Amino acid sequence: MNKSEIKKLIISSLNADADTVEVSGKLEKEGISYNFSKNFSDRVLNKLFSAVLTVNREVEFVKYMNFAFYRIALTGVAAIIVLLISIFLREGSFSFNSFLGLSDNYDESIVCLLTGNM
Amino acid sequence: MINESYKVTEEVELVKASLNGDKNAFGEIVNRYQKMVARTVKGMLGDSVFAEDIGQEVFINLYYSLSEFRGEAKLSTYIQKIAVNLTLNEIKRRKRFFSLFSQKANNEMYEFEIADYDTEERKEASEIVHKALMGLDPKFRIIVTMRMLQGYTTKETAEILDLPLGTVLSRLSRAQEQLRNILVKL
Repeated sequence: MNKSEIKKLIISSLNADADTVEVSGKLEKEGISYNFSKNFSDRVLNKLFSAVLTVNREVEFVKYMNFAFYRIALTGVAAIIVLLISIFLREGSFSFNSFLGLSDNYDESIVCLLTGNM
Repeated sequence: MINESYKVTEEVELVKASLNGDKNAFGEIVNRYQKMVARTVKGMLGDSVFAEDIGQEVFINLYYSLSEFRGEAKLSTYIQKIAVNLTLNEIKRRKRFFSLFSQKANNEMYEFEIADYDTEERKEASEIVHKALMGLDPKFRIIVTMRMLQGYTTKETAEILDLPLGTVLSRLSRAQEQLRNILVKL
């Protein structure tokens, strides 16, 4: 097909009543065909599934972090409960002084401590 | 390498298998439709490595949106819509880039790599088609690509582009006019 025939074919492909399948077939025969390079599908799959793997790894890391957070939080709560029980058993109340470890004879104890007269 | 056992499988089965994480099934979908995507993407953007990247993106987008495919339309139409959207987005992106950073004319932003043609005639034909397409406004180019390269009817073109039939017909006649003007100069 020469240059002018190709041009005619291109123009005719846009006629409303054109047989578009026939036109595209003829153009393909003339070497107007588009293809991706070799191993295109392998490259797509590699890109796709390596990306999926990365996402999966990220999800796993977040899961581990959540699990670690719960373990640390639970351990902390347990420690606080043990501390509260021990304070209550030692001081007999949950007053501010008992939390600070200061009993009612605070003044005398401080004087004794400072003067060394036990 | 793609599993040979999927060569004759129905596309609905391939979609189901792909959704279940079957790499070979999705590979078969890529194999079946890569030529169709190449015609759209390379027809719109020119034959270059960048078009290849967009082609890959089409299938990656397809993989992540497969769960939304309800099988009401053909899988080819669904893929074609993704290809058209990504290609038009790329054209917009390039236009923005070139308007900011380059003095190149609109039709110079599309690359064309001369492939090895067995005859001079074929090479010339390919160049004519490329220059004719790239000289068109993108909204006309997409319609010409759908008809001339993909062989779609006006109705199919309207369905893929989500345009009313009347709009496609009017764009078709305006595209024909533009093409005549471009081809006279070639």
